[in-house]
Order: sequence, then C-alpha cells, then structure tokens
Amino acid sequence: MFIVPIVYAAYLSFFQDKLVGGNTFVGLANYGKLFQDTQFWDGVGRVVRFTLVQVPLMLILSMALALALDSLRLHGAKFLRVTIFLPYAVPAIVSTLMWGFLLGIKYGLFGSLNEALGTDFNPFAPDTTLISIGVVVTWAFTGFNMLIFYAALKAVPRELYEAAAIDGANELQIVRAIKLPALRGSLVVTVIFSIIGTFQMFNEPQILPSMVANSGVTTFYTPNLYAYNLAFTGSQQGYAATLALVMAAITVAVAYAVQIRGLRNASDH
Amino acid sequence: MRLSQKARLLAGVLVPMLALTACSGGSGSATGGGGDEQVKVTVWSWDGTVERAVPGFQAANPNIKVEVVNAGSSQDEYKALDNAIQAGSGVPDLVMFEYFAVPYFAVPGKLADLGEFGVDKLKQDYVPAAWSDVTVNGKVYALPSDYGPSAMFYNVTTLKKAGIEEPPATWDEYYEAAKKIRALGDDYYIAQDTGDIFFLLSLIWQAGGRPFKVDGNKVHIDFTDAGTAKAVAFWQKMLDEGLINTKITGWSDDWNRALNDGTLATQTMGGWLTSTLPERAPKAAGDFRVALMPQWQQGDKVGAANGGSSFGIPAAAEHKQAAFKFLEYFTHGGGLSSRVDAGAFVPNVSVLENKAFQTKTNTYFGDQKVGAVLAEASEIVGSGWQYSPFFEWARSIYGDLASPFYTTGKGSLAEILEQWRQRCIQYGNEQGFQVD
Amino acid sequence: MRRTTSRPGEAGKTSGRGGRLHTVGNPRKSTTLTVMTSLFTLYCLLPLVWLAINATKSQADFVSSFGLAPGREFALWDNIVEVFRYQDGIFSRWLLNTVLYVVVGATVSTFLAALGGYALAKLDFTGKRVFLLVVLGSISVPGIALAIPQFLLFAQLGMTDTPWAVLIPSFINPFGLYLMWVFTAEAVPTGLLEAAKIDGAGEFRTFLQIALPLLAPASVTVLLFSFVSIWNNYFLPLIMLKDPNWYPLTVGINQWNKLGSTAGNGALVQNLVITSSLLTIVPLIIAFLGLQRYWQSGLSLGAVKG
Repeated sequence: MFIVPIVYAAYLSFFQDKLVGGNTFVGLANYGKLFQDTQFWDGVGRVVRFTLVQVPLMLILSMALALALDSLRLHGAKFLRVTIFLPYAVPAIVSTLMWGFLLGIKYGLFGSLNEALGTDFNPFAPDTTLISIGVVVTWAFTGFNMLIFYAALKAVPRELYEAAAIDGANELQIVRAIKLPALRGSLVVTVIFSIIGTFQMFNEPQILPSMVANSGVTTFYTPNLYAYNLAFTGSQQGYAATLALVMAAITVAVAYAVQIRGLRNASDH
Repeated sequence: MRLSQKARLLAGVLVPMLALTACSGGSGSATGGGGDEQVKVTVWSWDGTVERAVPGFQAANPNIKVEVVNAGSSQDEYKALDNAIQAGSGVPDLVMFEYFAVPYFAVPGKLADLGEFGVDKLKQDYVPAAWSDVTVNGKVYALPSDYGPSAMFYNVTTLKKAGIEEPPATWDEYYEAAKKIRALGDDYYIAQDTGDIFFLLSLIWQAGGRPFKVDGNKVHIDFTDAGTAKAVAFWQKMLDEGLINTKITGWSDDWNRALNDGTLATQTMGGWLTSTLPERAPKAAGDFRVALMPQWQQGDKVGAANGGSSFGIPAAAEHKQAAFKFLEYFTHGGGLSSRVDAGAFVPNVSVLENKAFQTKTNTYFGDQKVGAVLAEASEIVGSGWQYSPFFEWARSIYGDLASPFYTTGKGSLAEILEQWRQRCIQYGNEQGFQVD
Repeated sequence: MRRTTSRPGEAGKTSGRGGRLHTVGNPRKSTTLTVMTSLFTLYCLLPLVWLAINATKSQADFVSSFGLAPGREFALWDNIVEVFRYQDGIFSRWLLNTVLYVVVGATVSTFLAALGGYALAKLDFTGKRVFLLVVLGSISVPGIALAIPQFLLFAQLGMTDTPWAVLIPSFINPFGLYLMWVFTAEAVPTGLLEAAKIDGAGEFRTFLQIALPLLAPASVTVLLFSFVSIWNNYFLPLIMLKDPNWYPLTVGINQWNKLGSTAGNGALVQNLVITSSLLTIVPLIIAFLGLQRYWQSGLSLGAVKG
C-alpha cells in the first residue's frame, strides 16, 4: 500500500495523457517541464515561506502552553487542556467553513471590526490570505502539538524537579535545564509532522476561494492544489504524478534531514 | 395537497442500498427494452428535479430501473466521470453536463452520438440556441435539460431609492443607473463582479462576439472581434469608474446577505436565478423583478445565455438504449411537466409557449409573470455561440489571471483575455488540438 | 530499570496534603498564567461558539443576522430534525458509514501500527533502514496526488464505490507507526523480551503477550489519533466513492454545502450544513472528554523509563 501507488505514479510520470490522441510515452519530458514551471516553484516557495513563519510560531506557542500546563500553576488546567486540543477534532472542511464565515470582511467578525474602527482591513486580500490560512492552521494544530510536548514533559521524573528545587534552582532555571532538553525528541517529531503537513496543504486554499472574492488563491497556490487541478481539471495525470513525486522527494529529503539532525543532537545529550 | 404528493414522490425514489447489479449482458437492452430483462440505468445529476420524473417513468417501463445519484456538482462530477471512464468501471448511463462541458467530453469521443436514437425529430421542441449548445461538429451529444437565458433581476426598492423608475433597457442606461445607485452610499452598487467569466462571456455573446470557433479538432480563439471589443470596453469602463462591487463574490455568503439587504441592485444572470433567489434573499421578497438583459442598441432584442445544462450518454455506458428512453422522458416527454412544477426552467418550446406557464404569477417577484419574460429571453438568445472543448480547464485558470486586476486595478480586461488566449493555445496544442 | 513517581496526580495528592503546602509537586496557582492561557482558549473556542450559535438559526435567520448574535427564532431542534430528514434521511446513513470506517479502520490500523512500531524498535532485520525511509516517505508523499494512482488501482480491482476503497488505505497509518515506534523504544524493556524469547516464545507470541500489553496505553493514544484522522478524512472518500449511500459525513456535508455555493439552482441549506457540522463534531468532543482517563494513561507512559 505504501509502495504500489508510488511505483504507479512513477510509471504515470513518463506519460502524457492527451484529450485528443490518448496516452503517449514522453520519457523524462514531464520532469524537464516541471523544473521550468514557474507556477510549481511559486507554490513551493509559498509553502516554504509558510513553514518558516507559521511552524516556528505554532510550535513555540504549543511549547509554551505545554509548559504552562505542566507547571501545575493553572486554575482549571484540565478544562484548558481539553479546550486547546478540541480544534484538532474539527474536520478541515468544517474549520475552513467556520473561519471563512468568521473572517468575512462584509458580514463576518472583521466586517464588524472594520465598521467599529473605521478601518478597511481585509483578511482575505492576496497579501493577507496566507496569514489567515496560518490562523486557521494554527488554530487546528496547536493543541495537537501541545499534547505531544505535554506528554514528553509528563515523562520527566518529578523527583528531578524536587532535587533541583532543593539545590536552589528557580522555576525558570528548571525549565531551561530540565524541561526544554526533555522536549528535544518531541520537537523533532512535531517539526517533521508540521513540515509534512504544510507541504501538503490543500483543504484550506481549496475551500476558501468559493467563500471570499479574489483572495489571491490561484489554482497553483500550493503544490498539492496544483497537482490536484492538473490531474482533475486539466487531465494532465502524468504531469500531476510527476509533481507529486518531486514534491514527495523534496519533503522526504527535508524531513529526513531534520530527523538525522534531531537524532544526532538528541544522542549528544 | 402538494406536500403529500411530494412526500409520495420522494418515497418512491428512495434509493435502495447499493446492490451489485447483475446486469448480465449489457446488450440485452439494445433491442429497445424488450423482454423481461431488468435493466438499471444510473443517472448522475445534481439537478434535484430529475428525480421527480423517475416514478412515472418506472411505472411506464417496468423493466427499467432508474437510480439517480448526485456524484457532485459541476467540476466535481466531470472529474468523477473522467476518472470512471479512465478506470473503465462505474461509468454511469446518463450524465448531467453544463453546456460548456459538452464539447469537452464530445470531441475526444467520450459521449455517444445521439443521432442513432433519432434525436433529430426532437429538435423543433427546443429553442435554437439551446439545441446548438448540445451540437458539436454537427452531431447532437446531449439533450438540454435546463436553460439559463440571461436576464436582469433588479431590486425595485433600491432603484426607487436611487430615483430610477424604470429598469435600464440599454447598457447606456445601465451605466447611468449605476452612477445613481453608487451615489446612495458606501455599500450600494448596481452589481458585483470579481472576475465572473460566464457573465463577461454573456455580455460578449449578446454584443455579437464569438471568441471561440470550433471545427473538428481545430479551435480558433479571438477576443478582438468587434462584438467582443465593445462588450469588454463597456465593462472595463464600469470597473474603472468604481461602479461595480469587486469585493463580493457570487454564490458566497456575503452575496446572499447583500441580496438580502438590497445593496446589490441588479443581477444579470441566467434565468435559473428565479428559483434560488427566494432562498437566498428571503428578506427581499417582493422587491425583485425580472427584465430582459439591457440592450446594446435601443430597440434591439438580442439575448445571451449564462449557464444551463443538458444530459448526455457516455460512450462507455452500458445501457444506452434504456438511458435514452429515460432521457427523452424527462427532457421532452411525460416527465417534463413534473420537473417544471418542481422549479426547473427548461428550453422546451412546448413549455415556454404554454399559456399557463406564461401567465403564472410569482409572489416573490411582486406577482410578476416571470415565465413570460424568461420565455422571451430564451427565444432571443443569439445564435452560433461555441465553447472550446477544453473550456472546463480554461475557466478554472481564468481566475488566476483575472484576480490581480480585480484586486489591484492594474492591467485591463483586454490584457487578461489576451493572456487567457495564450494559455489556452498552449494548453490546447499540448492536449492534441490545433489551436490558434 | 528504575520505576519513578508513576501515575500523575498521585504526586500532587501526596505533596498537597494539608492543602496549604506549596511544593514543586503542587505549586501556587498563577492567575496571570491562567489568564494568558485562557486567552488562547478563547481563540480555540470562538469558531466553535460561532458554530453552536448558528446551528440554532433557520436558513432565513442565518442569511440575515450577525454571526455571533442569536437569530430571531431558536431553530436548533427544527434544524436537527431536518438534517435527519433531508434527502430521505441520508445523514443517518453517512453517520453509520463514518462509524464503520472509524471503528474498523482505527482498530486495524492501530494493531498494524503497534506491530510495525514494535518491529522497528525491537527487531533487527535486513532492510530496516529502507523500511524506515519508506515509512517516513509515505507520510511525506502528498496523499492527494497519490490518490489518483490509488483510485486507478482500486478501480482495476473493481473496489471503488465500496467501503473497502476507504477502509484499506486507512489501515495504513504511518503516523501511528511512527508514534508506536517511539513508544515501544521507550516503554518496552528489551530485557523482558529477551527473557521471553529465552523461555521459548516465538517472535509474534512475544509481541502479543509481552509487548502489546505494555503498549496498551500508547495504543489508546494511537487509536484516538486514527479515530480523529479517519473521522475527518475527506479527500480519499471523495475520490473513491460516487454512491452517496457510502459517503462519510465529511463528504456528505461538503456536498450539501456545494449545493448552495455553486452557481445554479441547487438548494441553499446552510442551516443544515452548519447543524450537521456541529453534529459531526459532537461525537468527537464526547470521545475526547470521555477518554480523558485514557489520554492520561497514554501520556503517562513516558513515566516508565529504563
């Protein structure tokens, strides 16, 4: 199940399916075309930018929340934890729908905000849409990542803190000396999964355009969306398969690099 | 009384659980549905009215079972059909296509030529433009099932507020009206446009432009003929002068709400808006009326179409004969009236010229006789319009090109159309057509 | 192996005796920290509150009232009844389908993940590194693009439009496998396995009888993750299924939504879309709340450390 579709995609990537004339073997032509396809690289650039900004922000937020929960200093910690995790339970379809309504400039929350403040901020203008998508993605996955961090913190023996406290360490020192290093392993996991998730971004940019005008979301907004449109609207299955494979190779390479680096650093400690 | 009838009909169409159909030997049905062999016809449709025709059809044809499936709307369904055809399994017997999608499936031979079923004798029952929509390279590949003659829906209350007593009859009057409505305040516009290609094409269509010419595998695209240039220049002026709302996109929640509160004064759109407008703008009940599209010349009577759909039979379908029988039944024969009663707007002359249809008043539209207006709008649709066979793809990328203009105001519609043409030429030639 | 404080809560209980004693195990509660965290929970709750409010509106109210304000009439019950009646009550069917996909998919995929994770963590076999690469790779491959070859493969087997087309791909859960691998490495003492093997237990028996019980808490975690991901799965069933009778909730709801947001005269049923979305989320929320205890045990797993 892992391998077969990949092999099949590789096979498809050597063919061009024409509306008139059917399937023809084209060798590596699809690959050559892809590497010169500015639309493809535009999408790659976008998810890379997104990864560089949203992923660190989200993970820092998740980590901070996990530390807050683990500090045992919160009132109603149980409630807070479940609440923060809840958005993870919401299907992307539903969450995009909700946020689309909420952020709508005319009748949504931003519409009212703009009216109240006399501003004209549009969360779904071409320049701001990516940020709005970031808000939705952060909303959906912060709790998920927080739980992974929280689990790692829970695994730290409590005596360690007690011993440190007896040695006169204050809370911040404990966080820095014990808790943060304990998060290293889960950080690798969350980074990898966040990168993979971002590189595959699809649902949000696919659903948004039908809700808001000219959000700047193009048919090639993310590589995955581009592959989908190539395959299903343009009937360019071979080219879409090529794109999928190249994108997969890029993602695997990045994930693997993080993994190797992360594991090496982890074993240093 | 109506409710109970509806309930009965619905109960009759209760789709049974998917059973592996034991349709032994697909050719059994080719002899005209004779014999006692049970045949199951699968129909893909997102038009809810088609199901209304099923009980009557099944009663008259006990050996044909019809299953209507919603396999998605528009693009989703076309993708599904392409997949099924490619996979060679699960191909339905009858499929709904918007008119622009007919050449996409017909040209590469994915649709059955309906000529073999003697479809020509049905021709006189359809308005000419609709018939031409389902005709590709001289052959008929589908039967029209609903129609979208372009009409202008206008909000009388908003127009009155702006001091406009009569709906604009020409595009010049439309321009003047737009300025008056705009003067009402921030949120008031005569209409919205965020790059709606179907609207722009209907303007071009009405002005006499025919940008796509298809002959076999040859496609000629030209956005510079006189009609196209006139329509494009006019709409460019509307946009340049800020008379059009470019923030609200059609079919979105914002749009529904703007229709509700009357800040969008008109909608120039397919006649099918009649049935959905009451749902979308319940608060504006009694405010809207329908008129013919504004004309380019005072005294002209030319229209265009915007949307509408048809049903065709995939070449790979198993039960073509039975499928055609049902197709004819619900688009032309005994099943037509039940669909019209359910709100379908059809291009059948027999319906459009029917006295009852023409004189029936519509409360939502202030007791206007909407049918008469739309019937006239259908009959004046300009002839000879064609879509390119890869229009489905073309329209999907149009937004990519138009969006920068609509958000920044840089560039022009004419430039967008030229870019669009270039992309179409490149894509079309890659796909094996001869495009220039 | 060193056994440490174990079960969470216990530490708090013991050091909290007397109730006034603030120690590392039971520090003073911080209002500032609570307020800051609560601000974030507002962000988490806002859309859900929006959903809950709007599920109580009729279609007419929905298009004409502000999102966070209530409608003129309270139509939640009417909406729920209509959701279950619309299109001959197909929503119940979608609900049942989803339950089927989730129960079967999550159970099988969790078992397979445990098996694979165990093999990766505790067994040496040739090609382990390649296997690992494949696992990582298959998490990274854009699932949506692979859906096309997957669809064609299933079509060739004549399995599209059957529940199998949704179930079989969901059995494979690389993410769960990854988690199980990490958990196994930490929670299953290699010594114990070796002891079992010395006693003559086979590889699979060792897994079943020694490792699996130790992995039970982790399995619950993976099970929950699979549960959520299958419950929320949208794209695969969208491609694989054409018969609405086999749709899961996500595809069905989106189809209802599309009816109104595609140009044409489809029915505008936003109230049903919103109410059915709410109904889709509720079971998950209940599962989250109800399985609190198991979350805890799954998470405290790390407290056992060699």
